[in-house]
Amino acid sequence: MKKCLIFSVVLSLTVLMLAACSSSGGSGDKASGADNGETNGKSDVKIPEGATEVVMWNLFGGGDAEYMQEIIDEFNESQSDVYINNVMQDYDEYYTKLLTSVAAGKGPDLAISHTSVLPELISQGLVQELDSLGSEVGVNWDEFNSNILEATVYDEKHYAVPIDTHAQILYLNNKLVGDAGLLDENGNPKIEETPEGFVNFLTTLKDELPDDKYPLAFSTAGVDSYRLWWSYYTQLGGEHILSEEDMENPEYILDVDKAIEAANYLRGFYYDSEVVPLNLEDFYTEFQSKNAAAISTGVWATGTWETTEDLDFSAMPVPNVFDQKGTWGDSHTFVIPYYQNADPEVQKAAIQFMDFATDKGAIWAKAGHIPAKTKVIESEEYEELPYRSEYAQVANYVNFADHTIYGRGVQDIMVRNLDLVWTGEVTAEQAFKTIEKEIKDLID
Amino acid sequence: MNKKSWIQDLKAIPYLLPFFVAYLLFTILPIFKGLEMSLFDWTLVRKMEFVGLENYKEMFGDPHFWRTLWNTTLFVILTTPTMVALALGLALLANIKTKLQTFFRSSFFLPSILSVAVISFLAIFMLQPYSGFVNTVLHSVGIEAEPFWMADKVLAWISIVVVTLWWTVGFNMVLFLAGLQDIPDSLYEASEIDGASRWDQFRHITLPQLVPIGKVILLLQILASYKVFAQILLITGGGPGGATRPLIQYIYEAGFRQNNLGYAATMSYALFFILLILSIIQLRNQRLEER
Repeated sequence: MKKCLIFSVVLSLTVLMLAACSSSGGSGDKASGADNGETNGKSDVKIPEGATEVVMWNLFGGGDAEYMQEIIDEFNESQSDVYINNVMQDYDEYYTKLLTSVAAGKGPDLAISHTSVLPELISQGLVQELDSLGSEVGVNWDEFNSNILEATVYDEKHYAVPIDTHAQILYLNNKLVGDAGLLDENGNPKIEETPEGFVNFLTTLKDELPDDKYPLAFSTAGVDSYRLWWSYYTQLGGEHILSEEDMENPEYILDVDKAIEAANYLRGFYYDSEVVPLNLEDFYTEFQSKNAAAISTGVWATGTWETTEDLDFSAMPVPNVFDQKGTWGDSHTFVIPYYQNADPEVQKAAIQFMDFATDKGAIWAKAGHIPAKTKVIESEEYEELPYRSEYAQVANYVNFADHTIYGRGVQDIMVRNLDLVWTGEVTAEQAFKTIEKEIKDLID
Repeated sequence: MNKKSWIQDLKAIPYLLPFFVAYLLFTILPIFKGLEMSLFDWTLVRKMEFVGLENYKEMFGDPHFWRTLWNTTLFVILTTPTMVALALGLALLANIKTKLQTFFRSSFFLPSILSVAVISFLAIFMLQPYSGFVNTVLHSVGIEAEPFWMADKVLAWISIVVVTLWWTVGFNMVLFLAGLQDIPDSLYEASEIDGASRWDQFRHITLPQLVPIGKVILLLQILASYKVFAQILLITGGGPGGATRPLIQYIYEAGFRQNNLGYAATMSYALFFILLILSIIQLRNQRLEER
């Protein structure tokens, strides 16, 4: 008898444990719009009485996370009708988690998505179009930078509220560039915007600086090299890898000649002019510890360099060395996950917050990003921030990834094959032959 | 008597049940779910249409599948014999009765308790060019070369193999050590009387006595090596250009990056099948010998 008791205790414990496991992931229960002021059992956040709770998932870390929280706190304090419950998620598994939990009806009310992942979400029917709700709340789409906004529009519908664009730019160490005699009397770098001009700038740095200083800290593999390649491909007039008319059935339209020229230009940095040390494990560290005169990376680094002691740096767009202005970029956006029986009150509250948050772009810009609303860029608050205005104009010509559902798959293929060009194992011509075959297999 | 043992068996059930339920739910059920998935066009979020063996057909014609399977197999070929030899050598060393015995044992075993992330970042720290430990040592002894331990396709393999050996050899060493201590002293004493040298003793007593545990280690090692993933992902990312990308990384990419869970499940089944066959061969061998 006693054993039976123990057995049933063990069994019920097991069942309890399993039940706890299955419910802990769902922090976005739809029915919980109005809360009673108690902690709601899903998290230990106190929701103010009578307020509509909006559960938001974000993928931010570091400074990004801090500034987003600052905006959310400001919003929550500015009014008492809506409460944004901000849940931080791990970046690496963010999209896997978002896709699966929204599909299961257990996702958040509001989420962050990169512009580049938007097609996947739209095609799977996981995000809500925002036009009708937006007009109810009074979102003025004209306030947004048109280049950034267009990347979030599909079939003439708005699916996301863009927060920013984070583009590939160039940072210079003023001291090292000055030591090499490459600053003019106004302290601006002497870079001639031609293919040879920029290489000359880098080789001069190499010749003039001591041997233990690098002209350009950059990566020889991976996504960074791919982004700079994409920037040069764009500057040469290349626009796409895949066509955008039908995001689920795109065609392969890479301009091979331009792609090869861009790859060979970048490859020259490694092997011809030898201005980039090969296979740096962490090229950020080299710039941060003042070992490198220049670095090319995304605008998010501004916040990092700023807080580095004694680092005298300046920021500028990636020099437009070919015919057109162009650089790689992506955007953070707000989206509203689609649920069949979603509470319109919660959704309206979410959009209200999106509009508020994008108005507060100057706070977001502290992380380095370029805010999506033009009026923010023109605001005094923004202009007072150092460095940001130097590169804000790239928002007008950033070239976003193609609008197809294969964005991440295509990027993996590009990176893997371009890496072989950067290691010198294959020529650019060979690499793009393989790329064509692999991407055609992927989209087939 | 018979009835009593039956009751005895019944008593075990409450103790086994909690684990069994979890095992059923999280191991057995997913195995069959995976089989179902492999027969469908299945994205990350929903089941699409039934495609029969289409995924399997695609797999056999997919060069990336074969390439990554070969990479994984190469890793098995490179690590298994070296692992067995190294574990045996270290076990012999740690079995010598000296003052340093405890030191040997613990220092050989220590890396095994670290997580894969820790050992990977240690490896990167040691192996990175320009400022890494290994290259700095090379420079200080007058070698001017700058080998790229993680970015050259041959050196990358060497790095991964060496790091894996260092990380996991401790566990196998302990198994050998246990085997060594199971060898009765009487065998050595008898052989000494017969005038056997140390080498004779090793060759004719120690080695034969270690064969059974050696076989266990071999099987465990092959099975574990086929599942290689995390340290490669963290150290080389599968690079340069896919030269070290193991099968499991490709499965992960197909499932979670290319949104094709059906195909990922298919390749998982291929791996499962390979492991199953290897286990059967090994178990059959063992049974033949026991007879």
